[in-house]
Amino acid sequence: MTALLQVEDLTVEFPTEDGVLPAVRGVSYEVGRGESVGIVGESGSGKSVTSLAVMGLLPRNARVSGSVRLLGEELLGRTDAELSKIRGRTVAMIFQDPLTSLNPVHTVGAQIAEAVLAHRDVPRQVAMRRATELLEIVGIPFPALRAKNYPHELSGGMRQRIVIAIAMANDPELIIADEPTTALDVTVQAQVLEALEAARRETGASLVLITHDLGVIAGHTDRVNVMYAGKLVETGTVDGIFYRPRMPYTLGLLSSLPRIDESGRQRLTPITGSPPSLLTLPAGCPFVPRCPRAESICSTTEPPLLPAGPGHFAACHFHDSVTSFPAPETPASVAPRPSDPILSVRGLVKHFPVRSRGVLRRRIGDVHAVCDVSFDILTHETLGLVGESGCGKTTTGRVLLNLEPATAGSVHFQRRDLVPLSRARMRPLRKDLQIVFQDPYASLDPRMTVNEIIAEPLRIHGRYGSDGRAQVRSLLKTVGLDVEHGNRYAHEFSGGQRQRIGIARALALRPRVLVLDEPVSALDVSIQAGVVNLLEDLQDELGLSYLFISHDLSVVRHIADRVAVMYLGRIVETAPVDELFLRAAHPYTQALISAIPVPDPHKERARERIILTGDVPSPVAPPSGCRFRTRCPKFPTLTDKEQRLCISDVPALVDHGEGHRTACHYAEALTLI
Amino acid sequence: MRRLLAAIPVLIVASFLSYALVALSGDPLEPLKLRNPPAPQRTIDLETERLGLDDNIVVRYGHWLGGVLHGDFGESVQSTYDIGANLTRATTVTLRLVVVAILLALVLAVLTGVVGAVRQYSKSDYALTFTGFVFLAMPLFWVAIVLKDLAVRYNKATGTTVFFTIGETSQGYSGMSPGAKLADVAGHLVLPTLALALITYAAWSRYQRSAVLEVLNSDYVRLARAKGLPWRKVLTRHVLRTALIPLVTVTALDVAGILGGAVITETVFNWNGLGRMLLTGVARADTDAVASWLLLAGLVVIVCNLIADALYAVLDPRIRHE
Repeated sequence: MTALLQVEDLTVEFPTEDGVLPAVRGVSYEVGRGESVGIVGESGSGKSVTSLAVMGLLPRNARVSGSVRLLGEELLGRTDAELSKIRGRTVAMIFQDPLTSLNPVHTVGAQIAEAVLAHRDVPRQVAMRRATELLEIVGIPFPALRAKNYPHELSGGMRQRIVIAIAMANDPELIIADEPTTALDVTVQAQVLEALEAARRETGASLVLITHDLGVIAGHTDRVNVMYAGKLVETGTVDGIFYRPRMPYTLGLLSSLPRIDESGRQRLTPITGSPPSLLTLPAGCPFVPRCPRAESICSTTEPPLLPAGPGHFAACHFHDSVTSFPAPETPASVAPRPSDPILSVRGLVKHFPVRSRGVLRRRIGDVHAVCDVSFDILTHETLGLVGESGCGKTTTGRVLLNLEPATAGSVHFQRRDLVPLSRARMRPLRKDLQIVFQDPYASLDPRMTVNEIIAEPLRIHGRYGSDGRAQVRSLLKTVGLDVEHGNRYAHEFSGGQRQRIGIARALALRPRVLVLDEPVSALDVSIQAGVVNLLEDLQDELGLSYLFISHDLSVVRHIADRVAVMYLGRIVETAPVDELFLRAAHPYTQALISAIPVPDPHKERARERIILTGDVPSPVAPPSGCRFRTRCPKFPTLTDKEQRLCISDVPALVDHGEGHRTACHYAEALTLI
Repeated sequence: MRRLLAAIPVLIVASFLSYALVALSGDPLEPLKLRNPPAPQRTIDLETERLGLDDNIVVRYGHWLGGVLHGDFGESVQSTYDIGANLTRATTVTLRLVVVAILLALVLAVLTGVVGAVRQYSKSDYALTFTGFVFLAMPLFWVAIVLKDLAVRYNKATGTTVFFTIGETSQGYSGMSPGAKLADVAGHLVLPTLALALITYAAWSRYQRSAVLEVLNSDYVRLARAKGLPWRKVLTRHVLRTALIPLVTVTALDVAGILGGAVITETVFNWNGLGRMLLTGVARADTDAVASWLLLAGLVVIVCNLIADALYAVLDPRIRHE
């Protein structure tokens, strides 16, 4: 049997001003008919470039060599016109960002029909009918109506399903999906993965699934290729890779992952350092600087893929003796935590006005971003605030610190209400209440050195005295950065290092409460683990209280003591962390937990999924009663009389004991992991 | 529509300011007063009365504006000069130049911009970029003078009149047949249009190039290619239309500048258009004439912006639906 796709010794280089950048270095792999192959790797590992090379869609300046055979025919060296007959017909591709993948000036129906017409000589109406059929297959309601919509009228999840519809338009043999769900919320990710599976069932196509999310890989692929620094470093069956990894990098990736199915008191195992620059690759194995097992041979000879079991290859000299990645010491368990609230939020409301477009710009409505939110943050604890994009969690964090004025409610800190305080009266309190932002690239001033960035809050509060420099140096040391690097600018650091700079800046004034707004979601997993560990250490050493805002429930499970789940501006459930994950009682929390992929193939495939339909309603006109009822999987199973209660009454947070409170009229605990 | 309503107060304030500026800048009767032998006081009084010079500026402005709304553009310093008729005639002359120059500049900008972007860093891109920057760096009056000078030399050297370098029409234009009239007008248009268009296209071409480059690197062009669309189709269906949107903005913003450029070009080529009308008006401190002129220019700019808005809606569904 010949493979559908055979890639042999593929090399891709980009000439740059600093020299030739070897993005892919001699990669070989096969994809069989009907097979699903995962490609995993961190940003810059060459996983996307590999597949773009297959499609012939690399930028013109790329130098490609090796061989790419599709159904036995060589693709490299063909003209663009020849390749365009294969693209979209035999091989189709799905890209990462659904918000930019569709042309804003054509209707989605026309864009699907265009894919049909590119390869088939059929009348336009036939192509449009086919477009409607495809929309139905990928699960878009009212397909005939939606076909007439422009992309901006549809949500991100819908748009990605349209891209999937385009990919399956001509019954391709192979679909390459490049991070198809990375830009989406988890519940939407579940919908899109479902659509992708539907597309495969319909077309019988093979799948190459490129992602950094090991959970998605575990659930949707047969074989896995792990890439690092432009090379395949391990390849095997999905079980082999997850249960018997043989390359220290793979081991490191798996153990650095916070998992939703594991209680969080154990430390994560970070991979130290960061991926190497491809411009200055060392002679030996590129993983050497980060590898705990490295010996002298590793720095001189780059290992090829060596057989490490049936159908399993690993590029490591010590593949037969590597079985675990040394875990960091778990610090002695900390003294029991006191439980006085340090920050009390009561009835917090934040509305943003929506104004008319007329000259008068009348207020025609409000975005109900935060609606009657109450919670306490206890001293020395981490409260996780989770929810999907647009649920109001970031706004809550900002209003909490009085960075935005609240519409109503109170925030008590040290027996003072922060809400009515003016900027000037707020300033002395700011030193106790700090924030770390999500984007480590945008939140550091590119014209300031790291020393200046960290010193700035000290200067503002008049604390940068004669010992200022020493303070900055000790802060750098605290967050694990080289003190000597203080004179550098932010762009000279990697994402993880920058986030550490942001944390050092927030710590400069010795705050008592730290709002962490998605502090690790922009980072690769191996880097993320280090930052999470740092945050845990700092909390133990300095007795900090955290509000940890995140959409990533796995990280929250790991770091939080208690969790509050938000949906459309309201808190729907709050509980101690293990209680929440093991006995979630609100249908939304249950759906969230069930949507998170677990990086364990057997577990992941055996899990029952609750897939939510539709998208989050507009916060300008939220549904009456329970805001979740329009997407609630439980709602349709209720009797008419029961449903009426959901429509008319806002469910209150009711305590079920042990601080587990749920805002659902028909709450019922479920174990989903 | 909302924009149109918002433009009215702007237009009124602007025209009042320009009215006041011209009215205060000099005494229109000065030539009369300084005449030797002196003009009789009675003549001066009559002129003052006719021009309404005794009233204060607000009253004069209100009087003029009321007239304009009824199609009467007021009294010129020179009593035989009909402001309305002259404005109409000069406008047709100048708009001819402006419209053709804008169209030519747009065609040039789109062509060079697209070629430059599609063949980025090729020899043709470098050549186009260089040419563009040359025109970007040169002042309009100089380009116009050089063009005129070259044309005159060519005419002299060949002993023919291939290029018309003076005026908007030839002498004896009114006696020509319609076909000959058209040829004559077109012949006179060539050089001034070229000068104005060359200066204008250069900046637009840079905008167009970067707009096309941005679209070429967009995800949706990559997806269009992944669908298997041939390159030519990707260009026409996905690149061109979206890349035209920013050019519409730039063009609309530049119309006022081009109007100013037309005044300069006309002066160089001795056209009797809006340019000359403005200059004589200012020289004579002819308040009503200048104010009428500026009101018209303002209207042209506003109309062009409205056209741009309408074009947006055609090109970009995101705006249509707002």
